[in-house]
Amino acid sequence: MTRISTSTERNPSFRWLRAGGLAAALALGIAAPPAEARDVTIVLDPPSAETNRFWETSGDNNLGPAMQTLLGNDPVTGEIDTSTVAHTWEVNEDFTSWTFHLRPEAEFHGDWGPVTTADIVHSYQLHTSNDSILTGLTLLRGAELEVLDDHTLTFHLPEPRPNFLFAHAGRGIMLIYSKAQYEAEGIEGYDAAPAGTGHFRLTERRIGEGVTFEAVEDHWSGETSAVSTLDIRYVAEPATKLAMLLAGEADIVALPRELQSEATEADYAILSSTNAAMQTAFMFGNIYEEGVEGYNPELPWMDIRLREAMNRAIDRDVLMEVLYDGRAEKLVRFMMDPRGEGYAPELAERFDEDYGYDPERARELLGEAGYPEAFADPVIPIISTTLGGNPEFPVLAELLQVFFDEVGLQTEIREMDWGTLGGMSRARTAFVLRPMRNAPIRPSVQGLSIFYSSAGNPINFVETAQMEELATAMNASIDPEERGEIARDAFTYLYELYADIPVASVGYEVAVDPDTIVGWTYPGATAIGLSHWHLIEPVAE
Amino acid sequence: MTRFALLRLVQSLVSLFAITVIVFGLSHATGSPIDTMLPDDATTEQIAALSRNLGLDEPLWRQYLVFLGNALQGDFGMSLKWRGQSAMGVVLDRLPATLRLGGLALLISIAVAIPAGVVSAVRRGTWADHLVRGFALFGQSIPAFWLGIVLIWIFAVGLGWLPTSGHGGLAHMILPAISIAAFQIAALTRLTRSAMLEVLDTEYVKLARIKGASETAVVWRHAFANAAIVPLTYFGVLAGSVLTGSIVVETVFGWPGAGWLAIEAIRARDFPVIQAVVMFFALAFLLANVLVDLLYAWVDPRVRHG
Repeated sequence: MTRISTSTERNPSFRWLRAGGLAAALALGIAAPPAEARDVTIVLDPPSAETNRFWETSGDNNLGPAMQTLLGNDPVTGEIDTSTVAHTWEVNEDFTSWTFHLRPEAEFHGDWGPVTTADIVHSYQLHTSNDSILTGLTLLRGAELEVLDDHTLTFHLPEPRPNFLFAHAGRGIMLIYSKAQYEAEGIEGYDAAPAGTGHFRLTERRIGEGVTFEAVEDHWSGETSAVSTLDIRYVAEPATKLAMLLAGEADIVALPRELQSEATEADYAILSSTNAAMQTAFMFGNIYEEGVEGYNPELPWMDIRLREAMNRAIDRDVLMEVLYDGRAEKLVRFMMDPRGEGYAPELAERFDEDYGYDPERARELLGEAGYPEAFADPVIPIISTTLGGNPEFPVLAELLQVFFDEVGLQTEIREMDWGTLGGMSRARTAFVLRPMRNAPIRPSVQGLSIFYSSAGNPINFVETAQMEELATAMNASIDPEERGEIARDAFTYLYELYADIPVASVGYEVAVDPDTIVGWTYPGATAIGLSHWHLIEPVAE
Repeated sequence: MTRFALLRLVQSLVSLFAITVIVFGLSHATGSPIDTMLPDDATTEQIAALSRNLGLDEPLWRQYLVFLGNALQGDFGMSLKWRGQSAMGVVLDRLPATLRLGGLALLISIAVAIPAGVVSAVRRGTWADHLVRGFALFGQSIPAFWLGIVLIWIFAVGLGWLPTSGHGGLAHMILPAISIAAFQIAALTRLTRSAMLEVLDTEYVKLARIKGASETAVVWRHAFANAAIVPLTYFGVLAGSVLTGSIVVETVFGWPGAGWLAIEAIRARDFPVIQAVVMFFALAFLLANVLVDLLYAWVDPRVRHG
C-alpha cells in the first residue's frame, strides 16, 4: 500500500506531491497507528444519473466500490491488469477474437453464487441493449459471444478492435451483473441493490443524498478493505463540501481547485491520482475541408495563421499557475499521452518553439493574415461553460480572452451550458472556440478517430483529406508498431495544423482529513477519476 | 359565496391549462435532453435511437397532446435522470422533505414576523421600531444562499453546534429553515407593520381605547384581528413557497427536497421530472391562492359581493 502516490517517480507533473502532499503523508504515516476498519465518508459532486442501471447512464459510474468490470487497472501505473473477474485473456492476430478466462473463485455478494460466463453474456446484453446510452459503446457493440465453458468465453468482433480492452477497464462500460439475481428478482432487484463482485456491497441508495457501501468480509480476492462502511454523499455546493471537511463530517472531499488552498491552509492534505486523469483543451469549431457538412470558410480560425497566433498568445505557465495551482503539466497535443500509442517526444521538445508564449509573433501572424480587415467576421466567440469535474472552464475562457485581447484579437465570451454546446456540435454548427476534456484518457487511436476524423461524426472537430487517410490506415492496421507510427504521424499532422489549443494534463485530486485518512492509491484511469476504493487506508479509530 | 368559489375554480383551471402549454414549451425550448444524456462521442445511430425511444422524433404538437393526455392522469412518464422511477414518483418522494423544512420555516416566519410587525407598529418611531425595520431590510436584502453559507460557517464549522448539511432530524433543519425564513420574516413583518399602522389609526380602535380597553386587548383583539387580513393574503405566496421548497437553500444544504429536485432535473434536462415538478408547483400555488381568496372572501364580505 502506497501512502499517497508513487507516480511522482514516474511523472514529473506530479512532483508537487513530493514537495507538499507526500511530505505530509509520510509524516502522517509515521505518526499513524496501523489501519483498522472504520467508517469513511466521501463527498462528491452529484452524478449525472442516480441509478443502479449503469447501462442507462452515459458512463457516470457511481457503483464503483461494489461492481467490477472484466478487467481492472493497476493502482499505480493505471495499466490494464487482471485484478478483477478475469484472470487471463488472449487475442487472435487480427484483434477480432478476444478470449477471457474467469476466476473460479470470483463470486457475487450475498447468495448469488460464483461468476460464470452466463453472467458475462447477460451483462453484455444489458449494456448493449437499446436502452444503453453508454459512452464508447461502439467499442463493445456488435460482438458475438461464444461460451466455451463456465469460465471461458470469446468475444468475436465484426472488425479488428485493438483497443477492445479499454471497454472493459479504464472506460469500463460493462459492469458484471448477476444473471441469477435478475432471474430471481427482475430489474427491481437491480434497482434495489445489484449484487456485484467488488470489495464493497451496495447497502443503500438515497436519492439526492448518496450511496452507502459495506465492506465484504473475506472477499474472494483475498483482500479485505480497511474501511468498514463507505458513505458516499452527493453535495453540489463547493462551500458546503469544504465546510463538511472542516467540520469533521467528511473524510475525503472532491473540492474544486480554488477551494483546495483553504483546505491545505487548515492542514488538510491533497491526494492526487498516480497518473494524469484528464486532458483539457480548447477546440476550434469545424476545421473541415470544403464539401464537408458544417464547413464554414468565414470562421476566422480557418486561417492557420490565426490558430497559431492564438496558441502563441497564451502564456501557459500562467494558466498552469492560475487554473491548477501549478499542479498540472502543459499539454502538448490533445489525446496524446506518454503511455499511449504514437507518443511523439519530439513534439514535446518542439513545443516551446512552436506553441510557446510569444505575443510579438502572434501580432506578426495576425498582420500577415490581414486581421481583422480581411475577415468577414473577425470576432472569436469563446465559450464559457461549466462541466462537473472541470470548474476551471469559465476562468479558462476569461483568461484566453485576456491573452487574445492583448495581441489584438477581437473576442466575445458566450455563456452556454454543456448540453446546448453538445447540441450545437451534433448539429455541426458549433462555430465557436470551446473547451473539451479527455477523461479518462482514451487510447490514442480511439481519441484521434473520434475527435479528428469523420469516424467521430457528428462531434469531430477536424475533417481533412490527410487526416481521413491517416485515420483510415490507423483503424485498419492490426500491427501495433504500424498503428503507433500512423498515430504518431497523425499527432504530428494535427500539431502542425494547430488543430486546437492544448491546455493541460491533470490528475484527479481530493482533499482528505489527515486525522482519519492515511492514504489512497488510485490511478485516475476511470471516467470519474476515482477507483480502488478498497485501497483507502484509514487511520485506526 | 358559492358563485365566487366556482368562479375562482374556473379561473384556476384556465390558468392550469395555460401553465401546461408554458411548461411544455419552455422545457423544450431549453434544448433536447439528448444533449445532456448522451456522451460527447455519441454516434449518429445512438442519437437517433434515443430520440426514437424518448418519442422526441414525433412532431411537437403530438408530443404535447401525449403529454397533456398523460398529465391528466398524473402520468408524466419515466425520469431520465433517476432511471427506473416515474417522474411523479420522484416528485412525491421528495415532497415530505420539503414539507418538513418548509413547515419549520413557516413556523419560524410566523412566530417571529407577526409579533415583530405588531411591536414595530405599536412602538412606532422608537428604537424597537428602528430595530425591527432594520432587520426587515436586512432580511429582504441578503441572498438566501449567502445567509445559508454564513450560518454553516458560524454554527457548524465554527461552533460545531449543528451539522453543516444533509437530510436528517431537527438539527439538520434549523439552519436551512432559518435561511428560508429570513426573507419571509422580513416580508411578513413589513406587511404586518403597515397593516397595523393603518388599523391603529382608525376610529374603532380609538373608541376601544376611550372605552377603557386594556392596551393588550386594543392591540391584539381590536387592531390585529382586523389588520390580519393583509398578511393573510401573503400566506398564499408563503404556503406556495413552503410546498415548492427553496431551490438555492436546498442545494446549499444538500437537502433533497422538491426545490433541489427541480434544479437537478433542469440541469439534466429531465423533461418528465421538470414537467411533473413544475406542474406540481403550479398546482400548489394555485390551490394556496384559491384557498386564501376564499378565506379572504369569507373574512371580508366586500370581496365576495364585489
